[in-house]
Amino acid sequence: MTTTLAGGRAARRQTMRRIRPRRSPAVPLLLAVGAGAVAVLWLWWSNTPSIADTTGKIVAAGRITGLLAGYLMALVVLQMARVPALERRVGSDRVARWHAMSGRYTVSLVIAHVFLTMWGYALQAGKSLGDIVDQTVTSINTLPDMGKAAIGTGLLLVIAFISVGAIRRRLPYDGWYHVHLLTYAAVYLTFWHQITTGNEFAVEPSAKTFWYGLYGGVTAMVLWYRILTPIRLNLRHRMRVEAVIEETPGIVSVLIRGRRLHRIGAEAGQFFRWRFLAPGMRFSSHPYSLSAAPRPDLLRITVKAIGDHSSRLRELEPGTRVWAEGPYGALTAQRRSRGKVLLVAGGVGITPMRALFETLPGAAGDITLLYRANSTQDLALWDELAKIADERGARLMYAVNSPDGERPDISAESLKRKIPDVDKHDVFMCGPPGFAQQVYEALRGAGVPARRIHHESFEM
Amino acid sequence: MRKSHPVRRAVLATAATVSGIVLLLSLKPASDPGAAEAAGGAAPPAAAQSPQGGSQPIGDGTVTGDAARTQYGPVQVRLTVSGGKITKAEAIQAPKGGQSDQVTSDAVPKLNQAAIEAQSADIDAVSGATYTSTGYKKSLQSALDKARSAAGGGGGEAQAQAKTVTGDVADTQYGPVQVRITVAGGKITKAEAVQAPKGGQSDQVTSDAVPKLNQAAVTAGSADIDAVSGATYTSAGYKKSLQSALDKARG
Repeated sequence: MTTTLAGGRAARRQTMRRIRPRRSPAVPLLLAVGAGAVAVLWLWWSNTPSIADTTGKIVAAGRITGLLAGYLMALVVLQMARVPALERRVGSDRVARWHAMSGRYTVSLVIAHVFLTMWGYALQAGKSLGDIVDQTVTSINTLPDMGKAAIGTGLLLVIAFISVGAIRRRLPYDGWYHVHLLTYAAVYLTFWHQITTGNEFAVEPSAKTFWYGLYGGVTAMVLWYRILTPIRLNLRHRMRVEAVIEETPGIVSVLIRGRRLHRIGAEAGQFFRWRFLAPGMRFSSHPYSLSAAPRPDLLRITVKAIGDHSSRLRELEPGTRVWAEGPYGALTAQRRSRGKVLLVAGGVGITPMRALFETLPGAAGDITLLYRANSTQDLALWDELAKIADERGARLMYAVNSPDGERPDISAESLKRKIPDVDKHDVFMCGPPGFAQQVYEALRGAGVPARRIHHESFEM
Repeated sequence: MRKSHPVRRAVLATAATVSGIVLLLSLKPASDPGAAEAAGGAAPPAAAQSPQGGSQPIGDGTVTGDAARTQYGPVQVRLTVSGGKITKAEAIQAPKGGQSDQVTSDAVPKLNQAAIEAQSADIDAVSGATYTSTGYKKSLQSALDKARSAAGGGGGEAQAQAKTVTGDVADTQYGPVQVRITVAGGKITKAEAVQAPKGGQSDQVTSDAVPKLNQAAVTAGSADIDAVSGATYTSAGYKKSLQSALDKARG
């Protein structure tokens, strides 16, 4: 089975593709986001002729933070809408980090907005800062849509609390994820008070249109890419588990059969979010990389049994239905800018590297794979890697601990000794965070520019 | 793989946001040019101030409003009235210099046109020319007041004494309230809100409550009026501004 995967038709077609480096759209996207924020501030600026006193300043600060929070809230949701341009061009890992960062910032703005606005209103009503709770209750009771907004804000605070690193690590992933989904409800609930009580939207009808457009657009993206696109994909391709193969102790490959899988357009180096419709597994979906170039009828993932979910994969029955979402990830041949490529894999990080090793276009000697594992027994997929290396004239190296448990030397010097022209390479890397950091520093020391080190990391 | 510094990032984001907001707030003028003008300048009887304006007949002639100071310079409106209607509006003074030239040449024709269409000072501000628009409206209002008092002067003796006074702005939770009254013969003949809470629910509350409050002010002849139920804040602000207008009219 594995030998047939190495020489698939899709794989051969991919090798015919030319090297076309594509720039990440991150910078233009960030500029657009900044321009939007300036537009939102301008909205406030143009609608505020003057500020009378300190109370006015506090209320105005509450308005500014509220407007910015409302604007960013839409973007925080958009970042998780699985928009292909973000997932495949910027990279799912980077977008997830943006989401976490902008989410924290937005929640901070929401807290500032509530505090400043209620403080300002209390002062306007002739009360003091100490009456802020009293004022909040009054506002919730008298202003339109404030009840909804209060519930939504409460939800946001709960979600922010359980997303704090130390607390999140103690929660089971699935539970955390399902609570996190309540963000959609929170955003919906807080949206209405922006329109009905927001000064800027009452005065400026075009601002209201812009706001409806922003939130409507994001809602459409979420519906389209998170719900309709996966439904269409799974109705079309009807994937089922074909076989489960134990590669090494603790690492299993799952073969998935489906219809016309080449039409999905997945590339080597990408991943899907997989949901196996077996008892105890149907409610969680996990990202696993393809470990071979996609074939028209078969996909393969290779997974290390570390978590609860990945250990269960071993017991999957052939014929189990599979619900997949994807392909995602930007660690593909599109990142490449040079003829020579070094692939670095740490442990089960071999999976996307194995697919790239097979499909990256290149003449004999252009492609090198460096594979790090604890022992030679842990070198999963080694036989097929050796076969690919042999067929393509690619270099294959491994680094394992010495028999007495000593770690192999991965430094700028050792890299340069083994690959003298390492600084002329594009480097693709996948492995545990500590390993990736070590290799990154060694590569930089050996003269590889940062823009040519391509790496995906799901560390927040 | 570059090292991330979450604490440094959080401190930077907080500092940048706070200083940005403080900067924005400090760049805003302390008071609305229109409101300050109204509070300070409207106390003396409008009709007596300009020798030019007071003597204009209503029929066919021109009436020139008081010059309204704005941040960028004075605005003064001259109206040509014919058959009780504004047939022509022009700005004989408007902000000049630098950016203002362009803003003025863009906004003033629109404001002139709007004044003719509305036949009142109740015209929309031209976007990008908020100060000029506010000044224009003030001067236009004063021209209209003059035209009316001149017309009234022909008919009754008490009307000749009529003056229009604008009260101080009263801030409420939902926005500022400002009342303008016309006093003739020691009586309030007209009360109107030149500013009232806007936006969302407020639009409805305002449109419902303000006419009732105006009516109540004329009926009571004092600031001792009942609050309109469902519009407590607006009513309180209205009474405050009304009281200040009455104080000014007396003083």
